[in-house]
Amino acid sequence: MAELSEAMVQDLIRAEAKKALQTGEVSCVIGWTATRFEDRTKPYFAQTPEECDMLIWNRYCINGTAKFALDDRYPDKKFGIIARGCDTRAINRMIHDKQLKRENLYIIGVVCDGKENPVCRQCAHKTPLVCDVMIGEPVQDVIPESRFQEIEAFEKLSPDERYAYWAKQYDKCIHCYACRNACPACNCIECYADQYRVGWQGKAADREQNQIYGLTRAYHVGDRCIECGECERVCPMHLPIMRQTRKMLKDINDLFGPYECGLSEEETTALGEFKTADPDEFM
Amino acid sequence: MILAKKDIPKALEILSKEAAVYAPSIRKIEDRTTGVIQEEKIFLPFEEGTEIILDGPNTVKPPKDLLFPNVEKMYQYKAAGEDSYIREILPEDEKKILFGIRPCDMRSIESMDKVFFTKTYVDSYYAKRRDQVTIVAIGCLQPERTCFCDSMGIDPNQAPQADVMMNVAGEPEGESYVLQAQTEKGKALLDAISSLDQQEGAEPYQGTVCSLKIRKAEDLDKKLAGMFDHPIWDKVTKGCIGCGTCTFLCPTCYCFDIDNENYGNEGCKYRCWDSCMFSDYTRMAGGANPRPTKKERLRNRYMHKLSYFNERYGETLCVGCGRCIASCPSHLDISEFIEKATAADPDAVSYTDVPAGTDRKEA
Amino acid sequence: MSIKKDNNWEPRILAFCCNWCTYTGADLAGLNRMKYPENVRVIRVPCSSKVNPQFVLRAFQKGADGVLVCGCHPGDCHYSTGNYFTRRRFMLLQRLLEYNGIDPKRFQAKWISGSEAAKFRDTVAEVSAQIKALGPNNKFVGAHYDNTVMEKEAEGGKD
Repeated sequence: MAELSEAMVQDLIRAEAKKALQTGEVSCVIGWTATRFEDRTKPYFAQTPEECDMLIWNRYCINGTAKFALDDRYPDKKFGIIARGCDTRAINRMIHDKQLKRENLYIIGVVCDGKENPVCRQCAHKTPLVCDVMIGEPVQDVIPESRFQEIEAFEKLSPDERYAYWAKQYDKCIHCYACRNACPACNCIECYADQYRVGWQGKAADREQNQIYGLTRAYHVGDRCIECGECERVCPMHLPIMRQTRKMLKDINDLFGPYECGLSEEETTALGEFKTADPDEFM
Repeated sequence: MILAKKDIPKALEILSKEAAVYAPSIRKIEDRTTGVIQEEKIFLPFEEGTEIILDGPNTVKPPKDLLFPNVEKMYQYKAAGEDSYIREILPEDEKKILFGIRPCDMRSIESMDKVFFTKTYVDSYYAKRRDQVTIVAIGCLQPERTCFCDSMGIDPNQAPQADVMMNVAGEPEGESYVLQAQTEKGKALLDAISSLDQQEGAEPYQGTVCSLKIRKAEDLDKKLAGMFDHPIWDKVTKGCIGCGTCTFLCPTCYCFDIDNENYGNEGCKYRCWDSCMFSDYTRMAGGANPRPTKKERLRNRYMHKLSYFNERYGETLCVGCGRCIASCPSHLDISEFIEKATAADPDAVSYTDVPAGTDRKEA
Repeated sequence: MSIKKDNNWEPRILAFCCNWCTYTGADLAGLNRMKYPENVRVIRVPCSSKVNPQFVLRAFQKGADGVLVCGCHPGDCHYSTGNYFTRRRFMLLQRLLEYNGIDPKRFQAKWISGSEAAKFRDTVAEVSAQIKALGPNNKFVGAHYDNTVMEKEAEGGKD
């Protein structure tokens, strides 16, 4: 099959979405639609076959679609998702975390060639890993060599320099929780940060609370991070959030062997398993 | 008075002797690993040598945190027998000059004044900060593509409530600014820098128009008041992810929460910004939540901006600065909603979405 | 305990001790009248894997200068595998803290069995000395409580 143009993929997406809605199998199909700006698209929920013509596909389709499936955890009908490689990893993530059921999803997989989003340059899985129908020709998965380059460079700085860098970043943070709400690994029914009367997390947006939030988020998400980069994309203050989670992934790789997550729904996570032969530093 | 562009740093130096001057400049964070310098335009305290950027896009964050800080300590306390105390912490005595505020942001300060000063209650924390502030507004020259303040009834060239209005003289590329005092405070400020007056110059430039023109019904507030259960809400709120970006970057969002921080037997009570987009905003003690999903929350936000505030204070709370449009993670767009609501049939029982901008082409 | 800048400053160290090993070990140290620095506060937990990394962060935020997590030796866990999870968890946390510019000595983990009273004493003494050398922890206590006595006196710490 020859390589598909953007317009051809868009037609195929619309056709598949229409088909799914016409059979009555799905309640809606989530994809992207145009905004008033040419270089921005937004998530769109097509609920009737006619509305499928609003769905578009171009290099600005950067919003993650999978997380919206959590809006209704007990749906009557299937939830249709147009999913790129990263979205399917997100789906695997949420299924493995027992937040979604595979049988409640209808996945229209689209092979993605990278979008106008810096994180796409480090994408290892452009082909959907799980789907009901696939649009496009699967491509080889390649983990980019640059995956941990940034982390390694940052580790070389002095501790004071590292602290100062993060302190400046936390001073910028406005505590809007966009990173949490966009993250497919942040799928707890109720976030610890929303239970702030309990006292784990203060509501003030100062360095102290932002630091606690940043570290807690990085650690909590770290071993389940699918590297989709949504956190960094959505941050209105442009904090380098992936630099924290990737650090966790790098350490897991170094200590416990090659690790990527969200590749299948059955896998275990690094902190949810162990080997008796793991390195030990606490003797 | 006429002030040459090159004399701005000099003027600010003179002014900063008497007061803390805040002006739009670039906050830089260097990343030594990649050599990339993250730049961000925000209001920063002026120091000698700071580069002030009056043109270009507006600041990422509005200047509201200079009057209504994100975290504000209210009082501190200690419970220790005879040493117990409760001490109010009022804002420090510090004169401030906010230099280079755009008309949209100036209008937002007017709205905040209404909230914190009128309807029988005066907020002492806000009042103290507000009284000590002198505001120099600047006529907007480069509206961004998300700017639609003139559609919301604001003239991007004029800020009538500012202490001093500053416009470029003659053409947008002009080499000097025309400064006009609009209040007593403004006169005093201009007197302080009168030595820099160029005496002669062209008329103030008034020709800026917003890049984004939207169709808004004159009585949208009343129309929306009758659309609480309209099917449009189901559609337009679906893409929301429920973060607080729009509210924290909005120059007119003024909601706050009060909490305390305790260390042993002492601590302090503080207030901090809150967002109606968060699930705990309306959650009650027993766990019941009258706004359980993002639909109710986003509806409340849009209604507050476009209808509820009109009802109480007689003006729209959205000033059209476009910050929420520029930064929304889901690329939701309040201007698009305004157009859709304007075009919608208020009695409709179903609603079909139309692509952005198409309703405008038909009109 | 107040934080003083002078030489009398004593660190505050929080030790999460597993009920089945380290806590018994600490008990044994007491029974044998072993002396160890009194600036460590022991919190008994059912298993070292009960310790949520957030307990550690919270302790630092609330003014702990150091945190110690102690559990059974791998293979000896009362619940058979708990401490294997602990091991992975805290190797990562230690590295994450270090990455954020916080000295890894401030957060340590150790395996101490019920019979290792001397090891408990030595560990506490060693950690205490290391943290004393580092000075007060001022990389966590935040900005908005800066007018309290505690914060003012904690200024000028080394770490």
